[in-house]
Amino acid sequence: MELKQSLGLIAPEILLSIASLVLLLVSAWAGDKASRAISVVACFVLGACFFIVAPTVCAGVAGPDVVAFNGLFTADAFSGFAKLLIFAATGAALVMAPKFFERTNSMMPEFPVLILLAALGMCLMVSATDLMTLYIGLELNSLASYVLAAFLRNDERSAEAGIKYFVLGALASGILLFGMSLTYGFTGSTDFGTVRAALTGDMSTGAMFAVVFVLAGLAFKISAVPFHMWTPDVYEGSPTPVTAFFATAPKVAAVSLLMRVSLDAFGMQADAWRQIVLFVALASIVVGALGAIGQSNIKRLMAFSSINNVGFILIGLVTGTVQGASAMLVYLAIYIAMTAGSFLAIIMMKDEAGAPVEKISDIAGLSRTKPALALCLAMMMFSLAGIPPLFGFWGKFVVFQAAVEANLVALAAIGIAASVIGAFYYLKIVKVMYFDEPADVVKGQSDWAHWALLIISTAFISPLGYLLTTWLGGIADKAAATLFLVAA
Amino acid sequence: MVDLTQYLPILIFLVIALGLSGLFVFLPMGVSRLTGAHKPSKDKLAEYECGFPAFEDSRHQFDVRFYLVAILFIIFDLEAAFLFPWAVSLDLTGWAGWITMMVFLGELLIGFAYAWKKGALEWE
Amino acid sequence: MIHTIAFYIFAAMVIASGALVITARNPVHSVLWLILAFFNAAGLMVLVGAEFIAMLLVIVYVGAVAVLFLFVVMMLEIDFAEMRAGFVKYFPLGVLLALILVSEMILGIGAYSAGSMHLGTADGVGTPLMGESNIRSIGALLYGRYLFLFESAGLVLLVAMVGAIVLTHRERGTVRGHQNINKQVRRRPGDATVNTRPEVGKGIEL
Repeated sequence: MELKQSLGLIAPEILLSIASLVLLLVSAWAGDKASRAISVVACFVLGACFFIVAPTVCAGVAGPDVVAFNGLFTADAFSGFAKLLIFAATGAALVMAPKFFERTNSMMPEFPVLILLAALGMCLMVSATDLMTLYIGLELNSLASYVLAAFLRNDERSAEAGIKYFVLGALASGILLFGMSLTYGFTGSTDFGTVRAALTGDMSTGAMFAVVFVLAGLAFKISAVPFHMWTPDVYEGSPTPVTAFFATAPKVAAVSLLMRVSLDAFGMQADAWRQIVLFVALASIVVGALGAIGQSNIKRLMAFSSINNVGFILIGLVTGTVQGASAMLVYLAIYIAMTAGSFLAIIMMKDEAGAPVEKISDIAGLSRTKPALALCLAMMMFSLAGIPPLFGFWGKFVVFQAAVEANLVALAAIGIAASVIGAFYYLKIVKVMYFDEPADVVKGQSDWAHWALLIISTAFISPLGYLLTTWLGGIADKAAATLFLVAA
Repeated sequence: MVDLTQYLPILIFLVIALGLSGLFVFLPMGVSRLTGAHKPSKDKLAEYECGFPAFEDSRHQFDVRFYLVAILFIIFDLEAAFLFPWAVSLDLTGWAGWITMMVFLGELLIGFAYAWKKGALEWE
Repeated sequence: MIHTIAFYIFAAMVIASGALVITARNPVHSVLWLILAFFNAAGLMVLVGAEFIAMLLVIVYVGAVAVLFLFVVMMLEIDFAEMRAGFVKYFPLGVLLALILVSEMILGIGAYSAGSMHLGTADGVGTPLMGESNIRSIGALLYGRYLFLFESAGLVLLVAMVGAIVLTHRERGTVRGHQNINKQVRRRPGDATVNTRPEVGKGIEL
């Protein structure tokens, strides 16, 4: 009976696995020409999962009723919220891909299948309430990601990105596993609740090591400084739709996972990890902002932008409050819209032959040749910079507000100062597009699906987005509150 | 403490295996020396016509397909390794355990069908 | 008594073959020493009662992973002279790392035996079943309480398989024809030969 109930709770995961298995068979028999159809089906599957999960998020479900498999897995509203973002971001990556790969005849039907399996891994990550579920979810996602990074296997840069991601990802997994084994050694359990109970009072040095290693392993996955070095190379080398995927969905999954691990499993030792997260957050903001300045490749620039944004998100974690967690979720939602939109605009920048344009100097004067595209990209950049009328500002605002209310005024002040530095390079792109002499490189036409998605994401980050603040904030509050239920 | 006496048959097996294989290698060598038939020449020591040359730089480039076969082998090897604890504990896990394994085998069977159809198992 | 002797034999063999792995000149020999190390590690696992792990070491590590290593060693064109130069260059760093690991181990074991390190008490989920063999206890847990993780692990294996095929498999343009014996047997002389009477100087159209 218990098993049946558990199976009901993992309905979206079951749907994802069955769909990916069936599509794998279809891809073997139907061949490359079915790639587009399989991508469409995969999008519908993600949509179905979205609608399975959505009611649980709106209802704010939590507690022992949604815990499956003897505490290995939870389908609470927090995981639901993260899953909704993951499904949306994954769907966006699927829409971007076919057109991009078809130009070089490198679209393979395995692409959507691997994306679905990666999404499944991310679902396990955000729902994990046990270190073992966490690890299996992380590996499922990572393994699929390594393959996706090297998907253009005849392209040297893509292969390099794949191997770099693989080697450093394997190292991160090793660090994480070491931390997890120490955690088990010092607490006697892999279950988050039991770990939490065992880590009350004074913490031994050994347990401290465990916390540090687990956090370091997870920091790799969210590419937070000082574990960010793989990010620019991997983001630059991977095919652009895959980069867009890496910058959105796995970030949501890993940040949510980090939240659950630190607030739940290590929740009684908040003082121990708060300093680490504080350092990581500030370092990410500063390195992300400064590193981006000298970049000439727009994908590399976006890599530093994602490092920078992860820093802002982590400020919410430093507060350790419900409000901070809720602010993180709101920021994540806005962040994936901005990032997916930016990458869409990057994919849509093609030269006459349809080859992707990635150099910043090549998009000079884009406002005159492609005014609509330039406007969308400029809005994305303004939003990423956090300039007020756009929705990106709201994400930063709620995070800083949470920091101020948790008496972290200094942190908020440093964050705001750094976001001003960060604004510099975003504005540089706008300047290049609007005020430089046209380089006249971007000429290619774009797909209607790309335009549709770009317009949706631009509308979301435009001032229209503020209409959603109450609704989004309400859901995020509910989701964040479920994370703190264990504390009560 | 583990009762090591239950491993005695394995030890005996290993000793006999080592003894026999040593015998097969060294007995002909010894016999040939004793009977005076041991007259190595260049042609006798050369490798056979088929197969890889016996002594060559180990940096010889292999086809990447060897690697693919090895990866597939590891995966199915692991799958087989999981069958052992399942088979001996079936009375403890019951139908749930049985179905679990069937689903697992199904997952990998689909992978196998995929590999087969893709031609990953074919050499040429 | 026999346990102690067996332990020292296996442990010495593991360390010796481990040292030979990194000192062997020929990388293929390194892999072979590695296999010996795996075998002896399996022996150690048997001694501590982890029979399933011992079996996994032999079946998976010796049987499959070592073979993969062998392929990789043979496939990659490694310049060993250059690698040795790197070895000398990074030797101090390696020694430093080894010293750190050794001191960690000494500190850890020292603190533990001095009683100043408090490990957690196991929550009892993974306690072996009374009077059952190790492998049966593992089976009962893996296909009972942890069946969800087991299925997910199956998907991880599937991703590995798909990934390897996607990245390395190339469609070959000309597929070698397969022999169809039935077709060969049914072939009659009439199918293969044609009688014509070409006009002089015209040639024939086939």
